[in-house]
Amino acid sequence: MKKRRHIPPPLAERLLQRVLRDDLAEEVLGDLEEKFYATVEQKSARKAKLNYWYQVVNYLRPFAIRKSRLKNSNTQAMLQHYIKISWRSVSRQKAFSSIKIGGFAMGIAACLLIALFVRHELSYDTFYQDQGAIYRMTNQWKEGGEVGRWTNLQGPLKTVIEENVPEVDLVARTVLWSWGNAGSNLVRKTESNFNIDEDGFFYADPELLSILEIKMVHGTREDALAEPNRMVISQTIADKYFSDENPVGQQMVLNDNPEDTYTVGGVMEDFPLNSHLQGDFILTLFGRKSGPGTSGWCCTNYVFYTKLKPGADPGATEQKLLQVRDTYVMDQLRTAGKAGLNEMQEHHSYYLQPIADVYLNSAEVNDNSQHGSLDLVWIFGAIAGIILLLACVNFVNLSTARSIQRAKEVGLRKVVGSVRSDLIVQYLSESVVFCTIAIFLALIMATIALPFFNSLAGKSLDMPWFEWWFAPSLLALALTIGILSGLYPAIYLSKFNPSEVLRGVKGAGKNTSFMRSGMVVFQFAVTVILIISAIVCQEQFRLIMNKSLGYDKEQVINILGLNTLDSAKKVALKNEILSVPDVSFATVSDFLPVDGGATHNRNYWLAEERLLNNGFEAARWTVDEDYLDAFGMTLVEGQNFSGMTSDRFNIIINESMAKQLALQEPVGAEVIDMFDEKYKVIGVVKDFYFESVLGTVEPLAMVYGTGDEVLSLSVRSADIKNTLTALSAVWEGFVPNQSFKFAFLNQRFEQMYGALTRARTLFMTFAVLSIVIACLGLFALSAYMVERRGKEVGIRKILGASVSGIAALLAFDFMQLVLVAVFLAIPIGWLLMDAFLGDINNRVELSWGLFAIAGLSAIVIALATISIETLKAALTNPVEKLRSE
Amino acid sequence: MKETKLGEFEEVLLLLVGILGEEAYSFKVAEEFESQTKREVSIGAVHSTLNRLEEKGFLESEMGQATAERGGRRKRIYTITASGQRALETSRDFRVSLWSQFPAFATGKVNFG
Repeated sequence: MKKRRHIPPPLAERLLQRVLRDDLAEEVLGDLEEKFYATVEQKSARKAKLNYWYQVVNYLRPFAIRKSRLKNSNTQAMLQHYIKISWRSVSRQKAFSSIKIGGFAMGIAACLLIALFVRHELSYDTFYQDQGAIYRMTNQWKEGGEVGRWTNLQGPLKTVIEENVPEVDLVARTVLWSWGNAGSNLVRKTESNFNIDEDGFFYADPELLSILEIKMVHGTREDALAEPNRMVISQTIADKYFSDENPVGQQMVLNDNPEDTYTVGGVMEDFPLNSHLQGDFILTLFGRKSGPGTSGWCCTNYVFYTKLKPGADPGATEQKLLQVRDTYVMDQLRTAGKAGLNEMQEHHSYYLQPIADVYLNSAEVNDNSQHGSLDLVWIFGAIAGIILLLACVNFVNLSTARSIQRAKEVGLRKVVGSVRSDLIVQYLSESVVFCTIAIFLALIMATIALPFFNSLAGKSLDMPWFEWWFAPSLLALALTIGILSGLYPAIYLSKFNPSEVLRGVKGAGKNTSFMRSGMVVFQFAVTVILIISAIVCQEQFRLIMNKSLGYDKEQVINILGLNTLDSAKKVALKNEILSVPDVSFATVSDFLPVDGGATHNRNYWLAEERLLNNGFEAARWTVDEDYLDAFGMTLVEGQNFSGMTSDRFNIIINESMAKQLALQEPVGAEVIDMFDEKYKVIGVVKDFYFESVLGTVEPLAMVYGTGDEVLSLSVRSADIKNTLTALSAVWEGFVPNQSFKFAFLNQRFEQMYGALTRARTLFMTFAVLSIVIACLGLFALSAYMVERRGKEVGIRKILGASVSGIAALLAFDFMQLVLVAVFLAIPIGWLLMDAFLGDINNRVELSWGLFAIAGLSAIVIALATISIETLKAALTNPVEKLRSE
Repeated sequence: MKETKLGEFEEVLLLLVGILGEEAYSFKVAEEFESQTKREVSIGAVHSTLNRLEEKGFLESEMGQATAERGGRRKRIYTITASGQRALETSRDFRVSLWSQFPAFATGKVNFG
């Protein structure tokens, strides 16, 4: 026999021999050894050793394990005994046990769901192979200890970086805001003439596919976008449009415009749900002749993604970028007429944001993307912890409350010879058993609740049944919680002195009542805080919805997708629609005072101050003469666009811009923008919120012009359904090859505050959950107390106590605790909510009434819970209680 | 009476035992399974299933030759019994009958490309 260099790991072999049935040992060890040497040959010795362990672990199966070793062992017999006793004590007091386990299970289920959510939020953009090398490039402005960051950069910077920064392997620009065809478009295949509205378009350089390691189903990362007018579509879109053919090489037309014909260069897998970048159509920036991809040093329109060379240090790369900026970029910016370059030299730098940080945005980069909230992750984590704690507290509480029942058992066990450690083990294993049952229940509850939770949180999470870590971590959870929550009852119960308990001297433990009271206080304090949070969110939401915005969001209907029509047809459609009854004004525009409209910002100066300073940034909207009327906005000074004043060099500004210009008499003033276009102010419109109500109204300049995409109507109709049918009919007559798509402005407005709505609903849900858990505990405690004081009640009644007097007497103890909890919770809740709302604009007032409602509702609920048992006790015939001696 | 239905994994293993003939012992069956299906499987899982098939009476086994690469240990060789054969045939006939009821397949229109 040849001498072998490697041998199977001896420890694993010994382990196997220990647990394996003797009659199997020979064949199994032989098989594994053969496998081991085969693996050494094919792979490596290390792999082979690892694999040997894997195989050994996989032999721990019922059929292969020797049975005789554990049989008749005392430990096992005792363990079986403990489990049997636990089961008996569960089934002896069914109601009590089901409250104990059910409350526990509910807590765990809530925790599971939150844990899934938190895990999902933390998992964003963590799936790349070159995880550490992928960055988003952002600007950084450091001034006086404050740091501001934002994404947008100049287009030509790409070439400069590629040529001068060797650390950078690849760099790609993307256009993620609604410019050109980014955003949503009407799409058709070349041979079809029916337009379908699709969302999720953005522009990117071909390199993006490689940087973000986008998985291609058809085509390659290198070629798919490397020719003009190419695009990459997602698997979903490919299945929808090209179910029975190879999509690569097919053409699609955007917005019915033959010049916007794109050839499918590749099909990618859909973006994973936990990618911050989402979209179904990537349009190439390569070889474009106008619009996206062509803008020069004037404008910052692009979000840059980059992949560094292996081993490149991001800090050093940032320094290199700064040098490159000073040597190559500054001159260009000067030529492009940028002001404030000296300030830029002093305060501006670049920051490479690791891709995994983009979603939760810990660096607070200002961008257009969807973000999760790190705060929300923390808040939810905390809520999960607290709910779990509540459930554990309940468990401990209920276990110790019932100790009198177990006292005799403990005494007897001690007499028969149990030592304290045995008893502790017994009660610990009992609570682990409880816990395991609770976790099974919790899994069932969580699975049932998951769809509701998903719609609450706006996610699509799945139970990770088949992930390798799921079962083991549940097991670990059962053990940890079981031991933690069993520890106090175990120590407490095992302390009993047998001679005392058997004589019946020892009562139900006065010394535990302090602990129990503390726990009840804690539970209710948490509950009240959650109720406060839910009410505050609700009030904040109501405040936003009822805020007078400066325009009339209730009366406006938007008809979408006009960009496929030529301008003559738009005018015709508009006129036709104005003839529909109840429609008073109509305007075609691209700008809406809600999220999702277009944004164009420019810097402005008073004409005579152009070269003196940096000016200020203001949004620039192109609107027509009907815009203000259609949205119900009011002019405070000057006049609207009409006839004479419909000139593209006349502008209407908002009050905020007028304030920025610092003029006594804004109407008639001359204003100039960064492209040296001069305007005359003809009117001032009352400030209206066109961004979040939680911010302030920014400066806005309205220029005369016709819009392209959205037809907004001011409708005052008693029968909105009829009006919509009429509108739809007009649309069908004009544009038969495109479906009628509309949206109410107030719905769009509500969507802007989705995060707040969700926070409100989630707080509400968890408040209810924690109330239920706390009340279950309180109910069981009161039931127990009533049982214990049964005789006392009987005697009191005989001596003439009234029903209400007795009920009050019994409830008093608990209500004291609840009151303490309420008074503890109110200041804490106030502080928390104050921090949660932060310094937003239009913040809801934290009034006393609000806290009073929260406190009162907790008290009422608690009272109702307790009175079920106390009333029952007060109403029983005293004979029933006193007879049973 | 033991369950006499075949699971998917059981069916595959039974077939592999047939294919391997004299060489049908746990390690070889596991190897063959991995190379034929490109799926990972542990020897323990295979062994446990072979054991179960033996209990059901579809397989029988005896200890075979010892070789050097297994440290001079003998191996357990499995062979298919008549009832194992029958179970395989039943299972195949069932599939075939299902396929023949599948209209797209019957008319030859189904495309597996």
